[in-house]
Amino acid sequence: MRRRAFHLACFGACLGVVVSGLAQEGHPLTGTWTGDWGPTATQRDHLTFVMNWDGEKITGTINPGLDSIPIASVFVDVTNWTVRIEADTKDQSGKPLHIAAEGRVDNIGSYHRTITGTWRQGATNGDFKITRD
Amino acid sequence: MKHRLDVLAVGLGILLAATPVAAQHSFSATYDSDRQVTLEGPVTRIDWVNPHAFFFINVRDAGGTITNWAVEFGNPFDLERDGWKRNTLHIGDLVAVEGIPARGAVRQAFAKSVVLKPGGKRLFAAPGRRASTSAAAPAPRWPNGHVRLGPPPGKKGYWGAASVKALVENSAVKIPMNDDGLLLNIGDADRVAPFKPWAKAVYEQRQRSLLKDDPFARCLPPGGPRQFHTPYGFQFVEQPELGRILVLLGGGDRNWRVIYTDGRPVGQAAELVLSYYGTSVGRWEGDTLVVESVGFNERFWMTNGGLPHTEALHLTERFSRPDLNTLKYEVTVDDPRTYTRPWSGGWTIRWVPDEEIQEYFCEDNAESTFIR
Repeated sequence: MRRRAFHLACFGACLGVVVSGLAQEGHPLTGTWTGDWGPTATQRDHLTFVMNWDGEKITGTINPGLDSIPIASVFVDVTNWTVRIEADTKDQSGKPLHIAAEGRVDNIGSYHRTITGTWRQGATNGDFKITRD
Repeated sequence: MKHRLDVLAVGLGILLAATPVAAQHSFSATYDSDRQVTLEGPVTRIDWVNPHAFFFINVRDAGGTITNWAVEFGNPFDLERDGWKRNTLHIGDLVAVEGIPARGAVRQAFAKSVVLKPGGKRLFAAPGRRASTSAAAPAPRWPNGHVRLGPPPGKKGYWGAASVKALVENSAVKIPMNDDGLLLNIGDADRVAPFKPWAKAVYEQRQRSLLKDDPFARCLPPGGPRQFHTPYGFQFVEQPELGRILVLLGGGDRNWRVIYTDGRPVGQAAELVLSYYGTSVGRWEGDTLVVESVGFNERFWMTNGGLPHTEALHLTERFSRPDLNTLKYEVTVDDPRTYTRPWSGGWTIRWVPDEEIQEYFCEDNAESTFIR
């Protein structure tokens, strides 16, 4: 059992290495992005974005899984690669919660390009940074 | 000794003319052609590796400080073909180099000339490029009448240099660009292809950054039309009994591609494992091989110069051979996520007679390996 677990761990590690090195030369926003947001440098929440360009618009999900949030809209200004991402979810009490993120895509040519900017979630303001995996 | 000098002269001379084309990396991104550098010192190391051979020399400045410089002098395949051997230059040889320095503060240069000292004899100047020629003849044919895309029976040969260096939409007016596909005027971008706004922005960003992020420079495969632009050519291996044609690529990483000619339908991209060369199905229309390909990944630039694409890319390629020495290549690009409409371009490719594709493997030393 331990041996099997070891092999699985090795496989997972190898997969991680391979996946982290894959290029994506199509639409700069397509792909999986990870990072965090928060109102302060120490109060941070993890973020995973999965986005895809379908030829007309960018669709996607924030934090895929049981608590995933569908992205309502993504606006991209390709003249300066600024983006505005909006989504709607609910807080822990079930009240509607609007998310609006505004940022800029940097290092367009890099595998690990980034989006940094401001994050507003309900009444809370903060900043965010996500990096394409 | 004289023979050695002659070999240096001929080998490096021919190489010099060809290297910017043959290089795996973007020459423009690596070297600053607007500057010159002169270096002199003893050879300390020789890296005889693909895609770029380097030697290193210790250079003493006016203050007596010694620094080590990396001098690129071409591709070993070209060098060997033209008479240069890996032991033509020796560690300890005193050389003087005139070259083009790398961009930034990297101590690296591309050799335009190398003088082996003492003696001060200039070993080479830039000559014209060697061109293989073959007598004019009609295209060879199979017994069933189909044009052969490979050599005539009992002969050798492969397809070599393309007539243009980058894919652009068919146009009556030539768009000025260098051998890397770098536009001389970025304002010509709209004439290259009917971009969607994001794609034009990406293309222009790649152009402005002098193609420095080109995946091909990191030895990733040249998918799409670019496979017919890479140095060292390609050949077709037609296997009608197996219902397929293999395309063997001499450049890049000696990749191959399969074109199925067994009548299967063109694959649906969503059902395919996406790949650099996609999934290709071919059929003959008269003397033209028409190939439809889908199922491309997004990890490559499909042509020199950095045209983008998405997984929705659908290529229709037409290969015809009007005579023994000419292959006509036409491609229609249909990627509605990237371009506003389907568009076409193409070029011709010259036959290299009586030669086989030589062994060539890209090794990832195209980056600024020598930053110190």
